[in-house]
Amino acid sequence: MGLSPDSRARFNLDRASVLVLDESGMGMSILVQILTGFGVRTLHRCETVAEAKDVVGRVELDLVICDAMGASGEGYDFVEWLRGSKIEPNCYVPVLLTAGHTPSNAVARARDCGAHFVMVKPLTPIAVLERIIWIAREGRRFVECDTYVGPDRRFKNDGVPAGMVGRRRDDLQGDIGDALSPNMDQDVIDSMMKTRRVEL
Amino acid sequence: MSAVKIFTPQVKLAKLLRTPGGLRVSEAVERAGQGLEGLKAECLTELQAVLEAAEACAARAGADYDEGLVAELYAIVAKPVGVPSVCGLKAVDTALVSLSDLLDYLKGRRSWDANAVAVHLRAFRLLLHTEGAADAAGTAAILAGLQQVAQRYAKPS
Repeated sequence: MGLSPDSRARFNLDRASVLVLDESGMGMSILVQILTGFGVRTLHRCETVAEAKDVVGRVELDLVICDAMGASGEGYDFVEWLRGSKIEPNCYVPVLLTAGHTPSNAVARARDCGAHFVMVKPLTPIAVLERIIWIAREGRRFVECDTYVGPDRRFKNDGVPAGMVGRRRDDLQGDIGDALSPNMDQDVIDSMMKTRRVEL
Repeated sequence: MSAVKIFTPQVKLAKLLRTPGGLRVSEAVERAGQGLEGLKAECLTELQAVLEAAEACAARAGADYDEGLVAELYAIVAKPVGVPSVCGLKAVDTALVSLSDLLDYLKGRRSWDANAVAVHLRAFRLLLHTEGAADAAGTAAILAGLQQVAQRYAKPS
């Protein structure tokens, strides 16, 4: 990631339809100020899960920013409902979950509710923008099974956990053997990285 | 083992971000920052109300653990996390997170420590009414002390 606040790169959110769910008035105001600063014009502000569900059923959304909503964790339940709702295309919409304090018994819920990213408050404009751009561009795969619906949680791909057998076709199996050929020379690696003029 | 379906849905947001026009990152961040600046007075009023509500709630506590009261106090102090930083009071945010941690640990142990809660609330009041930047070393010492108090109740790792 690492988006610079001084970057001259352009992005366009003025046609994006964004749902913001936050029960706290100040939390909502902070997000609204950040998003309108980014040029978002269509904001659906919801203070309750019921309002948010209603919007999901009526409007096509491009982004959802949802607060975990304290100890009750209603925000997690909403994201889980959204993923399982089968309301297309909203059930696949990028979801950024924000959380002020996550109680110890809610960590697994935060991980498994189906959000693309969990952001810990306090929120800063550059951090929010960085995450929005990242979740939009990465094109993460979706997983649907009996116990989970949402973006693939293994997006870092650190491989199968030690001692486990992978369940996916692209999981590497077996032990790593000895190298069959010598390592590449550093000059060769450098030449592959170097920008070159090409003639077409 | 259940059947697993893996697929890549189309994300319209990626296309929207690339459409011509829009804003430069620097411009957008500046505009958002200006918007947040306009919320400062409202945030300070809100934090004062949170402090008073938290003190009133803690004052009702008895000597023993009261699940309802701990849940109520947690809801009061965890909700505004993130608001103080908008007013430039990052230290208050850290104190609120420390108090939320403490209440979460106390809930897990089903125990109550009035002194540990009181010291957090006094620090909240002090940090809210003083310029943290004026005494950065003092602020850091207060926050380190709060963290030590809260961590006394953390489960052993």
